[in-house]
Amino acid sequence: MSFPALLLLHLAAPAPSAPVPADTARPDRARWYVPTHLLAHTAGGQGLAAVGTGWTVSRDRLALEVLAGYLPKKFSITPVGVFTAKVTYAPWQLGLGGTPWHVRPLALGGFVSYSASRGISLSRGSKYEEGYYWWSSRTRVGAFVGGSAGRTFGLTKRGTARSATAYYELGTNDLYLVSWMTNKGGLPLRSILTLGFGVRLHIW
Amino acid sequence: MAGLTLLTGCDLIEFSPNQTHSPAAYSDLTAKNLAALAARPVPAAAGDTLRIVFTGDSQRFYDEAEALVRSVNQQRGISMVLVAGDISDFGLGRELRWVHDKLKNLRVPYLTVVGNHDLVANGRKTYQEVFGPLDYSFTHARTRFIMLNTNSREYRFDGTVPRIGWLEQQLADTAGVRRQIVVTHVPSMSVDFDPRLEQPYVRALEQAPRVALSLSGHQHNFSIEEPYGNGITFINSYSFEQRRYVVLTLWGDKEFRLETVVF
Repeated sequence: MSFPALLLLHLAAPAPSAPVPADTARPDRARWYVPTHLLAHTAGGQGLAAVGTGWTVSRDRLALEVLAGYLPKKFSITPVGVFTAKVTYAPWQLGLGGTPWHVRPLALGGFVSYSASRGISLSRGSKYEEGYYWWSSRTRVGAFVGGSAGRTFGLTKRGTARSATAYYELGTNDLYLVSWMTNKGGLPLRSILTLGFGVRLHIW
Repeated sequence: MAGLTLLTGCDLIEFSPNQTHSPAAYSDLTAKNLAALAARPVPAAAGDTLRIVFTGDSQRFYDEAEALVRSVNQQRGISMVLVAGDISDFGLGRELRWVHDKLKNLRVPYLTVVGNHDLVANGRKTYQEVFGPLDYSFTHARTRFIMLNTNSREYRFDGTVPRIGWLEQQLADTAGVRRQIVVTHVPSMSVDFDPRLEQPYVRALEQAPRVALSLSGHQHNFSIEEPYGNGITFINSYSFEQRRYVVLTLWGDKEFRLETVVF
């Protein structure tokens, strides 16, 4: 699925049947289902390149994001579409003394991803009896710690801060974690880590 | 593009756990191990005797892999270690690299055959990049080893795996070969072996002039039997998990001895 199609999907999501009460406190706030930002991402198991969109709440402390990533054939049997949903919680934002820069020193997050690719052989299905392999070869669950730094560039039309933020995620996934946990030192923790990077843009 | 290579050269930066690309130090390991084997002189004092360590199913047993390496390195007169498939548990590249990080400390070359777990997800191409061909053969000390992909279930029993025609070709080539050993992951008696190819496999071995043994893994336990009553001995390896391996000593045309080593 291409990114514009994904974005349209969200923009075209039907309004809930109950009317949304007007948010009188913040008149410029878009309806809740309109995404708050865009992001571009690489690695961390989410594709060579991924783009996504998401929603931030609680003064940007909590972000829920969906991404569509791509892994070309060079790295696979057939090209892979990696579709990821992730949630990131970054409790603290520190301003840098009167500058437009800010830092979120800690972020904790989790993700679920699905890898769509004809060449990725399924670990379940008609070839096997139930439970022949216990894991899914296409769905991964992972967790990460991270941080971000960014700056603001004035205000959007809605009156919120227009900003660009770079972030990193140091994490792992379910299969790596199982491999680590079922050994007593034979597999160092660093060997199961993955590193991902991205940029979040709040531009509207 | 240089940046891309730099990034993919580092395991921390991973686009997908299913990515098949492997850094140079973890690529073409079969060819590298065969070159190392070829460079080892066959000791004249050994006469026609060949000693190998036979094991299998290293999947996710990294603690045990470390202990196995320590144990094997204390053995004398070993030519190579044979690993009868299921190097990985999930068919992921990192798993193959983790296993190599242990087995590269062996003082002797190790050679693998592909297992069913190595073929899950993007495993086929990953295994090919890290190790090499799924079917291959080599000769050492006048012994021809035929490494055969027998993971038929992964191919939906479509009649293509194992490649019986290729096996017959390898068995027919006996120039300078005193004995032949077929190494597989799934043994032909298993429900995971294509039932339509079981008899063709057995016949190929029967008709070959110098087959000494059919070796396999998959069952996670040692066994030795002559299941088809045709004089061909089938040996299944211990898994790494069992902290045991066998030392297989071969001499003469079909003579062999087995010693179990606990580690």
